[in-house]
Amino acid sequence: MTIHPDPSSEARLGALDRIGEIGYPTKRDEAWRHAPHRALGELTFGPPVAPGIGVPAELDNQIPVLEGPRVVVVNGSVDASLSNLAGLDGLRLSSLAEVLAERPEQVAAHFEQGDSGIADVFVALNVAYGADGAVVQVADGVVLDVPIHIVDVGLPAAAQNATCTGVLIDIGVGSSATVIETRVGAGSEFGGSNIRTTIALADDSTLEHVLLQDVPSVQVHLSRVDVTQRAGSVFKARSFNLGAAYGRIAYNVQLAGTGAHADLSGLFFGFGDQTLDQQVNVVHAAAGCTSRQTYRGVLDEESTGVFNGGIDVRPGADGTDAVQSNDNLLLSDRAAINTQPRLEILADEVACKHGATVGQLDETALYYLRSRGIAADEARRLLINGFADQAVDDVGIETVRAWIIHRLGHDHA
Amino acid sequence: MLHVENLTAAIGDKPILKGVDLDIGEGEVHAIMGPNGSGKSTFAHALAGRDGYEIGGVATLDGSDLLEMTPEQRAAAGVFMGFQYPVEIPGVNNMYFLRTALNSVRKARGETEVGARDFLAVAKQAMELVEMKQDFLDRAVNAGFSGGEKKRNEILQMAVMEPRLAVLDETDSGLDIDALRIIASGVNALRGPDRSMIVITHYQRLLDYIKPDFVHVLVNGKIVQSGDHTLALHLEDHGYADFVNHDLDDAPEKPLTGAPS
Repeated sequence: MTIHPDPSSEARLGALDRIGEIGYPTKRDEAWRHAPHRALGELTFGPPVAPGIGVPAELDNQIPVLEGPRVVVVNGSVDASLSNLAGLDGLRLSSLAEVLAERPEQVAAHFEQGDSGIADVFVALNVAYGADGAVVQVADGVVLDVPIHIVDVGLPAAAQNATCTGVLIDIGVGSSATVIETRVGAGSEFGGSNIRTTIALADDSTLEHVLLQDVPSVQVHLSRVDVTQRAGSVFKARSFNLGAAYGRIAYNVQLAGTGAHADLSGLFFGFGDQTLDQQVNVVHAAAGCTSRQTYRGVLDEESTGVFNGGIDVRPGADGTDAVQSNDNLLLSDRAAINTQPRLEILADEVACKHGATVGQLDETALYYLRSRGIAADEARRLLINGFADQAVDDVGIETVRAWIIHRLGHDHA
Repeated sequence: MLHVENLTAAIGDKPILKGVDLDIGEGEVHAIMGPNGSGKSTFAHALAGRDGYEIGGVATLDGSDLLEMTPEQRAAAGVFMGFQYPVEIPGVNNMYFLRTALNSVRKARGETEVGARDFLAVAKQAMELVEMKQDFLDRAVNAGFSGGEKKRNEILQMAVMEPRLAVLDETDSGLDIDALRIIASGVNALRGPDRSMIVITHYQRLLDYIKPDFVHVLVNGKIVQSGDHTLALHLEDHGYADFVNHDLDDAPEKPLTGAPS
């Protein structure tokens, strides 16, 4: 019998210790200022548990239905019966638990704590408990035409209401792929999902990564995406932050190789008393890299939006070209947006631009539409959809675009 | 067809229209000319129903009280306004916008809605009128359009909506001579016995292409002179100085020499 060394098991034990050391974030933590701290404290984490209720029979009605490879994770454990793990040429698709058992060295980086240790308690929780999920490995020189779909379903159980899932995506040299991550759930119980995705893009690779967050409005959703980009790689992130009482999507992108390009765009569309939080940090650590952050928020009723966008240009990252924008539409005088750029520039010949707008529906545009016979309500709807749908145009897969449009209630023939 | 009587418009305490009287018959084209700030655009917006004005007086179209109606109801009643500054609406497809507009007024009139295929035929015809290419319909409404494209899009909308009364507000502003010719020929093609038009312009130039039946001079919120198209030629030569160099509110109106009365 061969015993495989598992470098990650030590890391996971270490993370368990870190949880207590770090403690939960407070209002004083810039990145967590608008989070519901009491609700975060009520999340109970642990190793995966059986779902409190069954997986909804109509799961496919809740998510975009894509042909091809798919991993369905239910409460932190892969459900093989709902998944299609068959690989394609150049693609190996596995459950994280399987890789941890058989070839743990291939996922060690996902569990590493970094030089200064884990700083974020939810990362520590994820490292400690997120021992299953999806592993996407694309070999060198492969162009995958078929999108890979990773579906996370959160079904809070009474004993333990929060789940952790790990997702790893490795794209080989010169390869390209599309990964759709859809996060949904069911039930009316309070609970939460803590999902961490680590992405490694080798030289000259390309990834379109679409994140669809649509968990029930009683739940908390915490997404964190850590990306490392090598020379000449292209990362396109498209996030749609739609569900949850508190829906958080955080990106930490390291542009570590010359000439890498990160293009992040997203839409958050809030109703009720939702808080939809985007935390984006792009680190220019190599010369000649470009990054774009383009986020749109629509906030109705009493919802709150957060955009905290960082551009961090490290010494030596000369010739950096970074642009950030956040445009928001407030549809109610009780809705709120907190938008904040954070720029730290320690290199030369850097072009950095950022801008944020907050507005209401354009009265002149409303009048224009109404003067064409379009009733006031319909005109309002057209303008809101028009604003939001511009974020949808960035998504490459038609089925996914159609799902988002339908989810937003913007269907039109 | 259009009857306007003692129409006033004010923003807050500031009067802009000070009692406009105008009657337009079936199929007639009336030009309204005047210097900047005379109230020309306000007159157009007052007919189209823009919010923000205190409106007084009478304006009826085919006997229906326009002033009681919302902008969308006026459109359904047959009013079309061509904007001086057409609004950019990013994210809203031009074709979808046009079809929604047409079907909205058809629905309001109790007519059947036009399906996608039939609409394409309607739109194609309208596009030929203003020499537009198909890709025009696939773009967002006016977004990134040149000045000329925006104005052509207005006339395209007018062709699709087939209004009873078209109010064209400074349709010639910002156009080069080629765009002006295209737009004027589009407008002329849409003239007909059932359609009346108000052409608002600062310059006589447009009226070389769209020959009006009547010309009115609007100064300081009032129509101070009316005549046939030769009045426009007079204005071209003499400017508005004859009208604005004295206080029209107090001075008795006097006939102009060289202008038809």
